[in-house]
Amino acid sequence: MAKWRALFCLAACLYPSALAISTEQFDEELTIRPLPDGKVASTFRFTTLLQGATPRDPQSLGGDDVSQHYTVFPLALGQILREYAVTELHLSLNAGKWRYDRWGLPKELGVGTGAELWAWMGDTEVTSIDKRWKGLRNALAGLFCASLGSLDDLRTTSPVQTFQPEGDLPDWDSPHDVRHASLPSEHVCTENLTPFLKLLPCKSRSGIASLLNPHRLFDADWHGMGVHVLWREKEGVEVRLTFQSVSDPLRSGSRQKQDWSLHSLFGRSIERECPVAHSSRVLVALPQDQSYSITPEPPLVETEWAVFDTTKINMPLNTAMTWAQNFEFPTEFNGAPLTVKRTLRGTSQAYGQLSITVQNRLSSELPVLYLETMPWLVQFYLSTLKASIGGKPHALSNLTYIPAIPHSRPTTFQMLLTIPAKSDLEIVLDVNKAFLLYAEHPPDAQRGWDLPPAILTPLVPIANHSTGQLRIYTPTLLVDLATPDFSMPYNVIIFTCSLIAFLFGNVFNLLTRKFVIIRVGSDKTT
Amino acid sequence: MTDVQPQKPIKRILARFNRFLTPAENASELRIRRRNKTLGALTRRIGTIRLVLFVCGYLWMLALPSDRLARRVWIDENALQPNRVDVHWNWGEVHTADRYLDDLENLRDQNATSDQRAQYLLSQFQKLGLPSSTQKYHFSASSGDIQGSNAFAILSSPRVSGTEAMVISASWLSRTGDGEGQLNLRGVATVLSLAGYLNRYAHWSKDLIFIINDGYLDGMQAWLSAYYGVSQPNLHAEPLEIVSGVIWAALCVDYPGHSYSHLGIFHEGLNGRLPNQDLVTSLYYVASSNSPVIMYDHLDSRDVPDRRDELDPIPLWVPRVMRDMPDVRAYAYRAMNLLRHIGYQARGRASGVHGLFHQYRVDAITLFAYPATGPYGFHAIGRSVEGTLRAANNMLERLHASFFFYLLPVHHEFIQIGKYLPSAILISVAMIFGGLKIWSDAGWTRSSIIEQKVTSEPTWTRRRRPVIPSLLIVLATHLMGTLLFFVVKSSWFVPRYMSTAPILFITFTSLPPLITIFLPPPTVDEATTAPLSSLLKAFNLCIASTIISIISVLNFSMAASLAVFLGIPLSISSSSPNPLPRVFKYFSYALLGLGWLLFGSNEPKSAIRDWEMFGGWFAPFVCIVYAPLVFQAAIVCLQPQ
Repeated sequence: MAKWRALFCLAACLYPSALAISTEQFDEELTIRPLPDGKVASTFRFTTLLQGATPRDPQSLGGDDVSQHYTVFPLALGQILREYAVTELHLSLNAGKWRYDRWGLPKELGVGTGAELWAWMGDTEVTSIDKRWKGLRNALAGLFCASLGSLDDLRTTSPVQTFQPEGDLPDWDSPHDVRHASLPSEHVCTENLTPFLKLLPCKSRSGIASLLNPHRLFDADWHGMGVHVLWREKEGVEVRLTFQSVSDPLRSGSRQKQDWSLHSLFGRSIERECPVAHSSRVLVALPQDQSYSITPEPPLVETEWAVFDTTKINMPLNTAMTWAQNFEFPTEFNGAPLTVKRTLRGTSQAYGQLSITVQNRLSSELPVLYLETMPWLVQFYLSTLKASIGGKPHALSNLTYIPAIPHSRPTTFQMLLTIPAKSDLEIVLDVNKAFLLYAEHPPDAQRGWDLPPAILTPLVPIANHSTGQLRIYTPTLLVDLATPDFSMPYNVIIFTCSLIAFLFGNVFNLLTRKFVIIRVGSDKTT
Repeated sequence: MTDVQPQKPIKRILARFNRFLTPAENASELRIRRRNKTLGALTRRIGTIRLVLFVCGYLWMLALPSDRLARRVWIDENALQPNRVDVHWNWGEVHTADRYLDDLENLRDQNATSDQRAQYLLSQFQKLGLPSSTQKYHFSASSGDIQGSNAFAILSSPRVSGTEAMVISASWLSRTGDGEGQLNLRGVATVLSLAGYLNRYAHWSKDLIFIINDGYLDGMQAWLSAYYGVSQPNLHAEPLEIVSGVIWAALCVDYPGHSYSHLGIFHEGLNGRLPNQDLVTSLYYVASSNSPVIMYDHLDSRDVPDRRDELDPIPLWVPRVMRDMPDVRAYAYRAMNLLRHIGYQARGRASGVHGLFHQYRVDAITLFAYPATGPYGFHAIGRSVEGTLRAANNMLERLHASFFFYLLPVHHEFIQIGKYLPSAILISVAMIFGGLKIWSDAGWTRSSIIEQKVTSEPTWTRRRRPVIPSLLIVLATHLMGTLLFFVVKSSWFVPRYMSTAPILFITFTSLPPLITIFLPPPTVDEATTAPLSSLLKAFNLCIASTIISIISVLNFSMAASLAVFLGIPLSISSSSPNPLPRVFKYFSYALLGLGWLLFGSNEPKSAIRDWEMFGGWFAPFVCIVYAPLVFQAAIVCLQPQ
């Protein structure tokens, strides 16, 4: 280990950073939390801090950038950030539906199904934000092997209020703006995890990252990875790589116990520490009202959490938790205090109804910002918007509506809901389903179009998430638009050609024929 | 032509062909003359052509059960791969199902109410850790109010966004006797144990919704209305607390007996809708490895020789030699299946709970466990459902659009649209030819002025064809039908059916003659104006024919039934000089059109119930379309010649 550290120090001395970085700090943390419905949520967090660094000022985009030399900070990502002068960036790729009602709030907020990318960038005349946004999403698509290139103008919006920066924005002359896009149909798999692991200083060879075993992670009930870049004025540029998963120990086998171990969850245990990690901790949430045992004995217990420091503990580490009793499903779940149900009703391919039910379980009134970033495929009839609580009309306020432009811009629709204590607010809205040009239909199997989740932002702190802004994602929707039967191209061709030939033939005949009177003299039937 | 030398045959043919291509006379004139000649030949023989069309059409219908017209089924959507599914349902799950069955039998013995049953089912779903809920509903129908509660659970599949779903359901009442009271306890137990079992698999690409609906069709109608946000004035259904995404396929399990010997497939939906044939075929492929598969609850008497007397569909008056012929027996069995199918589809009646799904573009079928003393039970039905679900789980897109048009004479053979559609169309063409012929004949009359001229050819002159009176009569009959429909569906009619129906029949039968009495008798000079009866008949035939051809692609069975009931009767309607035959004919037609009021009581009642509760179109169709068409023919007969 000492040898490695010496080598890193040597490297740091040999290439003094032109960015005047004094230090880079890498921290890793794994949080494991048994859930009320028997599942186990794990959150990996790998934080790299580039102390004292600042994001690139977009005014300097025309000229040469300072050279970049990093030791633990991921260079591939750093290059993208500086090339497009991104101040803050959030990318998440998730599979599955996060069940707020059962699992509560996630550790990492971005849990919307599919891919979601949002970035804060400074405006400049040198290169516009939209141009850099396009470059950014294509660069990230290449980096993470994901179809982020499809997050095009059809899906890009600029919802400032919901996507407030997590860090600070530099005080440049030019204003900052946000770009947001999501692609709910994107699936996450190994090809996304491999480039993700390459951004880590220890890859998946040592430390907590060695638990990132694709075979187990992608078998989990829910999994998602995230890349977050932000700048804090006092500290510097921070890159946070996260991976969350929800595994089900009850799924396999007949044993009805919630028991888990690192080996049962990830198929591996931590064999050795990551030498460059400043801190490396495994946190396990301890159940409050059940009898259980945890091995090895946690060296430190912080209120409800058992803490294992991998730099100090005996290796290999295979934390395990066993319960005395069989697991029984509770009948009531005290999940997130705010849950939302969103459905697209109706059977027609031309119109439908969007129905949203927001439930406030708190015993106090809750103001919530509701945001829809709907592709133009589904267009809202805002005049039909109705909100009610238990059948009585309810007022909505602060409506912001940027209507969609067919074939290009998505709808941005935002409203402020004030939900009284312990009540369900129902909102219905008629929608129009678009009729696509034939070239707009995707070439793959036709199952409908995925619609991005809506996002709720409570305006007062709820639950334990008092720090920062909270976002709650609704499940995605599938809309069935009128689709020609592309699997019968020959029939379609034959039909249309016959029709056109028939019409053309008749018209051509009438236009070119000479009309004369013929007397059929000897004919008996006059 | 001037060539006098003997020609070789080929040269002669060539010369004739040449003459045909470059005629000596004016080409256009020749063409017109040729066209007139062809048309003349056709119109002169129109009677024969119509006869041939009628005979061909009806013979074609009779030939439908023949195995010459059918072909073996295949899976069109390759993704389904029903032969490759892995099925793991085993005796452990059978044991679980047996335990559920014990509980359900207890509930039955305690005469548990709908709510108690729903609470029990809810608690079982909750024990399995599935998000679950109940839904109360209340129907008010003219045949009495119905209320109940459904219980359902949604298994959110791992890693799936929850935008797509499949349904596995069982109704509390079985379909035997159309939900007349036999309980589907084993079907419910199967669904409950499937819920616990399928929960353990990680490979579902869609959410699974488990529904135990109360009643027979009513519970599912309430659930579906709430799921799709469709409101119905006579239904009060609670909104669903939990929802999933777009439903692609639904399997309804109906297992009323103790054990079963054959697995029957029921596929007809409301208003003649059918599920995609790929789903039926997938079930057949999967299920036939577990237990024998049949259509409906029709056992083939050839498979169970000891029950032949009871099962044989061939009537006893057919000579024994014929009844023993294999071809005849095959034909009889297939004909029985087709007639059952036509019975459901023509009446637009759902043959099981699955039938309510089709209106929402969900492919759905019912698996019916034919009650017997053995040898199959939970093991075989569980494997069949699991396998079919696994096949449907592979589905990437909507099933193929053209696979909704089929007739299934047996489960493993089907008749393609091109081989059954012409039978109804031929009859419809024969009818429209008849109508057009009458229409064109009505425009001409034999001129009486030129009678002194001695000529072998009759002289024809044109006469007027006033369309307004006949169209008004057509309109009036349909209005009368609409009135009849509103009377029949009103809430006071059904409870007093036996007393009111004959009065209705008499009223609506005597309305047209009464009105014609009060109207001034039309003073028509037949020499200058066409008689009303022929114009009315022409319209009648043309309208009926158009309706048959349009319906034939939507609901073939209904079109075929209309072709049988209307084809010949409408074509032979005619007035006669004596009043007695006129009245006799009129009443025969009235019986054909409204006889159901007198002779059926269950059938009209259930058709009205279908309309009230599920929106079945059969009752309004009979009242507003079918009966008026027959009455138009009746009025034709009533006209003095």
